[in-house]
Amino acid sequence: MRDVKDTRSTRAKINLGLTYAVMIFFTVMAIYPLLWLAMNSFKTTTEFQLNKLGIPRDWVLVNYKDAWVRGKFPILILNSIIYTGITTVATLIFSFMAGFAFAKIPNKATKYIHGSFVIGLLLTLQSIMVPLFLIINWVGLYNSRLGVLIPYIGIAMPMGIYLGTEYIKAIPTALVESARIDGATYMKIFISIIVPMAAPVGVTVAILTVTGTWNEFMLINILTSSDALKSLPVGVQKFAGALSSDFGKQFAALMIGLIPMLLFYMFFRKEITKGVAAGAVKG
Amino acid sequence: MPKAHTLADAKREQRRAYWTLVLPGFLVYISVMAFPTIFSIFLSLSDYSGGKLFGGKPVHLVGFKWYQNLFADEYFYLALKNNMWIVLVSVFGQIPLGFFLAYVLYRGIVKFADFFQTMIYLPTVISTVVIGILWKSFFAPYGAFPELVRLFNPQYEYGISNHPMLPVLFVILWMYTGMYLIIFIANLQKIDSAVIEAARIDGATEGQTLRYIILPALSGVLVTTAILAISGSLKSFDLIFVMTAGGPANRTSVLSIYMFDKAFKGAPRYPLANAISTVMVIISFVLIGLTKWAESKFGGRE
Repeated sequence: MRDVKDTRSTRAKINLGLTYAVMIFFTVMAIYPLLWLAMNSFKTTTEFQLNKLGIPRDWVLVNYKDAWVRGKFPILILNSIIYTGITTVATLIFSFMAGFAFAKIPNKATKYIHGSFVIGLLLTLQSIMVPLFLIINWVGLYNSRLGVLIPYIGIAMPMGIYLGTEYIKAIPTALVESARIDGATYMKIFISIIVPMAAPVGVTVAILTVTGTWNEFMLINILTSSDALKSLPVGVQKFAGALSSDFGKQFAALMIGLIPMLLFYMFFRKEITKGVAAGAVKG
Repeated sequence: MPKAHTLADAKREQRRAYWTLVLPGFLVYISVMAFPTIFSIFLSLSDYSGGKLFGGKPVHLVGFKWYQNLFADEYFYLALKNNMWIVLVSVFGQIPLGFFLAYVLYRGIVKFADFFQTMIYLPTVISTVVIGILWKSFFAPYGAFPELVRLFNPQYEYGISNHPMLPVLFVILWMYTGMYLIIFIANLQKIDSAVIEAARIDGATEGQTLRYIILPALSGVLVTTAILAISGSLKSFDLIFVMTAGGPANRTSVLSIYMFDKAFKGAPRYPLANAISTVMVIISFVLIGLTKWAESKFGGRE
């Protein structure tokens, strides 16, 4: 009897050890490439060629200085902040407004309009890329900030509308009705009741919009031509992608492209994971 | 004031408020998503060859000519095949792996669950562009990968791979598994833990609990993740565009890269590009439909 128990607990211990080994393996797999990149961004190109896997012998910052200036990163980061900020704020305002109307103001059109937004969840960027390029050219917004922002907002809308409407539906209708009886206009109800109460879903929508817009690469690439309008990912691709032999600068440029999202993740880890899980219910 | 009058007033105010609230977002959405989608189908049936859209050379409808061209092009099938590989890796790689990791963390089998989760999810938040160039450098002849292999096999010589899609598929697996981990954890946490405890007390093994309680409770989520994986796989563009740009010799091309090349490389062939994107939308709807059908047929054990 005793033996059986012993072998059992040994087996359990081995299983637990194996599970830890597997988890550690996947963790190392996930972060090793990023650590490799970070380490090599502090090596000179000469050192990198001799020492590709190890820790830098001399930690140098010159790669960052060169990349920062030559890659014109300050303007790229500023552009990314402008695009992401305006897109996120506009998406939040528009989807709360429409979500409020869909959820709390009866109208026959809701079925169709809300339905068309839901279909938008399934549409892909690819299916609209070429026509969008032609339309933006046609209306004269090619190579302008507005010509990037309007598509970004439109693309973020379906998710914002979907999550916003679902959340606002759960706010008691009695609150809206009693405010109506007290003579409040819909605008007043929107600002003083709906917006504060829907703030939690606003965080989710904002997180999804920020990550999506910040990392967007394809549309801005085809909708703009001048360097002064490009965003950080495009700049990183142009600068780092073109350097096939100056590894030090290439890696530093990649780090510059990586750090903003890394910081964002560190500060909003909980909200990001919550947002991803919420965004996945769309099927 | 007569009651009917105020009621009509209220109705009118209600309607005005509704449209004021809905229209700004709806107009933006219509102009950048709904209209271009329909316009894309129209273009794919036309002979538009660039230049002014209106008032330029007149545009005619030419039927399914571009679709015929497309189905006769061997590169279309090459790209389609690569897309299907990505679908397979996503559905049968990312989802099971994500589920396994989520399950281990959720059941509290290991300590430091928060740490593991944070680290494994990390690759997902980084710009695809950065990921693509990073891995391109990692796998390159001068990169770390040949060096790492040489640690184990000193004779290793870098050669051009016979399977150029392998690194791409690996990176896709690497990058997105964390997303499924998060989705599964969030949904596992919704399961009433009392049910699991009760089953364990009644003598159910870990495996039985998983099979009869946890998996049935997650069947809806499994379908949702499958749909996410399928539509995500068909969309994949950024990563491949940066890592290989479809090369060498189009061997890592996917439908979106194939379309991009037709529209923006060399002489623009917009109708053909739109035919490709229309086919992509149809494929994705068919696959999603199949998934839903499979769920109704074989799933639903809840």
